[in-house]
Amino acid sequence: MPTRAPRRRRNLAPVVFVAPFLLLFLLTFALPIGYAVYQSVMDVEHTGALGLGGSHTVFVGLGNYSDALSDHAFVRSIGRVLLFAAVQVPVMVALSAGLALLLDSASARGVRFFRAAFFLPYGVPGVIASILWGFLYVPGVSPLVDGMSHLGVSVDLLGGNNVLWSIANIVTWEFAGYNVLVLVAQLRTIPAELYEAARIDGASAWMTVRHVKLPLLRPALILTTVFTIIGTLQLFAEPLVLKPVSSSIDSAYTPNLSAYNEAFTNDNYHLAAAEAVLLALAAFVLSFGFLRLINKRGGDA
Amino acid sequence: MSRTTPRRRSRGALAVTLAAASLLISACGGSTGSKDPAVQKPVKPGQKVDLRFWSWVPGVDKAVDKWNATHPDIHVKLEKIPAGSSGGYAKMRAALKSGNAPDLAQVEYQEIPSFLLENGLVNLSQYGADKDRSKFVDWQWQQGVFDKAVYAIPQASGPMGLFYRSDLYKKWGIKPPATWEEFAQAAQKIHDADPKAYISTFPAGNSAWFTALAWQAGAKWFGVNGDTWTVNINSPQTLKVAAFWDDLRSKKVIKTEPDFANGWYKDLQSGAITSWVSAQWGDAIISGNAPQTAGKWAVAPMPQWTRGSNVSANWGGSSTAVLKGAGHIPEALKFAEWLNTDPTSVDLLLQGGYGWPAAADGYKGSSLDKPSSFFGGQKYNEVFAEADKSIDNSWKWIPTIDATYQHLNDGFQAALAGKGTFVSAVQQAQKQTVEDLKRKGLKVSTGQ
Repeated sequence: MPTRAPRRRRNLAPVVFVAPFLLLFLLTFALPIGYAVYQSVMDVEHTGALGLGGSHTVFVGLGNYSDALSDHAFVRSIGRVLLFAAVQVPVMVALSAGLALLLDSASARGVRFFRAAFFLPYGVPGVIASILWGFLYVPGVSPLVDGMSHLGVSVDLLGGNNVLWSIANIVTWEFAGYNVLVLVAQLRTIPAELYEAARIDGASAWMTVRHVKLPLLRPALILTTVFTIIGTLQLFAEPLVLKPVSSSIDSAYTPNLSAYNEAFTNDNYHLAAAEAVLLALAAFVLSFGFLRLINKRGGDA
Repeated sequence: MSRTTPRRRSRGALAVTLAAASLLISACGGSTGSKDPAVQKPVKPGQKVDLRFWSWVPGVDKAVDKWNATHPDIHVKLEKIPAGSSGGYAKMRAALKSGNAPDLAQVEYQEIPSFLLENGLVNLSQYGADKDRSKFVDWQWQQGVFDKAVYAIPQASGPMGLFYRSDLYKKWGIKPPATWEEFAQAAQKIHDADPKAYISTFPAGNSAWFTALAWQAGAKWFGVNGDTWTVNINSPQTLKVAAFWDDLRSKKVIKTEPDFANGWYKDLQSGAITSWVSAQWGDAIISGNAPQTAGKWAVAPMPQWTRGSNVSANWGGSSTAVLKGAGHIPEALKFAEWLNTDPTSVDLLLQGGYGWPAAADGYKGSSLDKPSSFFGGQKYNEVFAEADKSIDNSWKWIPTIDATYQHLNDGFQAALAGKGTFVSAVQQAQKQTVEDLKRKGLKVSTGQ
């Protein structure tokens, strides 16, 4: 008996430790997703012109999905965020890696200051950042736009095709610092002996970066890439905040904006749920597709 | 003892986690949407009632303070929310869904059918609201009546006119346009006189404004026949309005920036925007956002499609509704009546610039009925009093009007980006609106 008790306790321990996480995960993650999937296959039917005759929820199968996919505006919004991601992900990762390597380089000065300065924008909530940048984009209010027009360069940062890249600028400003921090943390874990060995072998600073730092940075780079892919697909706060000042952001500018409008403006919760599930699927496919691609290459090497 | 302590602690932690989780669960499932009238708790004599009220109308805080000071037994807690289309309605719909809605809320006329379809409004006829009918302008009262039952107490409307910079018009020798043809000519003259100045903007993202212009032109977008909706957005009258602005746009004599945005306010201040076809409540928008232009504005009737006629339209218009789930409906109704008819309350709301009173005789002798120094000493509300009498009051709204606005916004914005025209945006919105109603499981027919 005395010998069995500690064993049982050991077996119980992992469960106890994992339980809080698992419980919260189920409640705040798995349950809402399951509920969204359930909502997405249902719809509401009304009786009478104003529904005064009552309403009831019916099962419609994949009806909401086919509605969402036959909505040109929604399909266009997916195309738009994919284009956005195709540009934003490489720019973000390259910029973050560049800044992280600069901070980590032997001759860097004021590292603490710059690390804090890079990270500072991440502390500004997305909505505030968008309002802030909004002021810098609106002609007549923005010193940037007005200054440029004095120099003879007239540019409409909120119009036509430009606004997507104005949004990209906000997103980069907001999140680059966070990614830099992740990458710097990874760089710090590289043992000094490796640098020493590289130096003894006669490697230049650039060669150290290319052959020591970057390969060892790989896991963190993959992580930041996946975060950026998911983040760009979920683009929401920036276009929502800029919408009132730009004539080029429509109600379905991004998939999330479309789902938000269907749910809270048009009261089509079930269609919104279908759009949300589609977006989650797209993020899932892209993230895991990227990971698979990376792992395959890693295996070949 | 020392060996058992860790185990006990871990159990304790688990218990805490479980308790927290069960709290979460009960918080999710605890509230269950609408309450039946039968479930309403009767108020005992001397018991204090608390009401929650969501609104964004300027000046409403003062009216609520006044009510609280004079009605100690019914306390109204005002929560300011963003204006309806800027997120206020999204907030209300989410609150209705989660069973957490306030007792009272600001609901614009065009939104009443959509809130009805969501089963979000209380039938106030069951609580004797019909007796108040005579206290209101009749067509505004009718905005809240469906199937002979009252669902909202009217507050204010927005008869339309033309605000213009009398100093600049005089400087350039331009008369306020009496017809839309003259408006187009004036647009050209103004832009010729000062390349930085424009007669107006076309707010592509604000289709409520375009809707009002179509209303003035004689369009009747929506109707209901039994339980079938008719949708007639692409009528010749609407297309005429769209083509008119297409023409001004292609001549580049109007701005196309969004209204109610920083750039537009700046243009009102600087004189880059010299006029605004708007509702009566536009006075507070101009005087509040361009105070340095005081004395330089004047008001003329809305430009006409037929010379010599006098037709206006309504833009905006709002009611106080009791939302499903309200705890004390009779008290909420009492407050809604007081807010919109009591002369002190109406006057406080007028000072905030809430619009044209829905209360019968709300205008005569009120603070509106005076000359205004901001408008160069003009008794400008006479224009709107006249306009108020020349509005087609048979206009109806559909329960998916927000989606229609979005389709028009999206189409107009696409036109600005070089894809299509305002006319094609209207045609597209017609098709999409029919689909929207069908999506809701409602019956629809097109045209007349």
